[in-house]
Amino acid sequence: MLPDQIIDRWLPQFRKGLLEFIILLKLQQGMSYGYEIASEIKHLTSIEVAEGTLYPLLNRLKRDGLVTTEWKTEDIGTPRKYYQITKTGIETLDKMKLIWTNTHSSVLKMVMQS
Amino acid sequence: MTLQFPIKSDTSKKIWSAFERELNHKLKPLPESERDDIKMEILSHLYESALNDKANSEENRIINAIDRLGEPDLYLTPLIEDILQAQSAAEGQPKAIVLSLLKTTQKSLWHLALTAIFAFGYFISIIIFIMGIMHIFNSNVGIWLDDNGGLLSLSFSFQPDAIQWMPEQFSFIAITLSAFTYWGLSKLLYLLFLKPKKLGFKQ
Repeated sequence: MLPDQIIDRWLPQFRKGLLEFIILLKLQQGMSYGYEIASEIKHLTSIEVAEGTLYPLLNRLKRDGLVTTEWKTEDIGTPRKYYQITKTGIETLDKMKLIWTNTHSSVLKMVMQS
Repeated sequence: MTLQFPIKSDTSKKIWSAFERELNHKLKPLPESERDDIKMEILSHLYESALNDKANSEENRIINAIDRLGEPDLYLTPLIEDILQAQSAAEGQPKAIVLSLLKTTQKSLWHLALTAIFAFGYFISIIIFIMGIMHIFNSNVGIWLDDNGGLLSLSFSFQPDAIQWMPEQFSFIAITLSAFTYWGLSKLLYLLFLKPKKLGFKQ
């Protein structure tokens, strides 16, 4: 298998896990809705998301009890489904942060040594 | 189309309605409350995404927004599967369990059928290839047709009551055709199962 094919297989898996972490990080700053989360991910990271693919992730986070949802109608008149991080979500995020920090330092060290 | 999403031009309304119809169709397996919730969330996203798009016309803004959402199957299929699976597990209803089992069985049978088809295809193409090579050294190796009914058989030796099919060109046809079949099957196998699945996260 060619390196590009391996990267094609590895990258989506890598990003999928990363996106759940990023969504929770975003929601820790305050409640948000799908379009805003997608826009912010695009704006702040180099990850370009097919926006719809966020919804299965958001649904899973909700099912796992990491976020709750609430419909609100804004001034512009369109209804928005807001996501809010729960206590379990914050606890999970804290653990994710720890794992991320440890893994990131280790991987960075290995990359620098290679 | 709902009043919450005021679309102005007729063309835009048509595009919006077509998208809404597609959502309705794809979300059918879900209970009504879930269906409406997901549809409203996707449409809300679409409307806001179109509002913030820089294109000149409303139609193009909506088309761009639909494009940014990605293929509906890409996000609706995992979403629907997740919800249905969670519901089945939560409810523990015999009907839900049977449906889930049927779905799994259907998938397994489909995989079994495909495996059998591919295995048979590879087997035949390899046998024909070997026969094509052997025919160069032994002209009796080839396809034989029954005198009466035209029954076809592959044989490595002379068949007394049968006529050999195209003995002059057999090697060429067998080697070419089997190589082509082998390549075609491999290509099909790659496209169906091995090609990295597009998950919607672009580089």
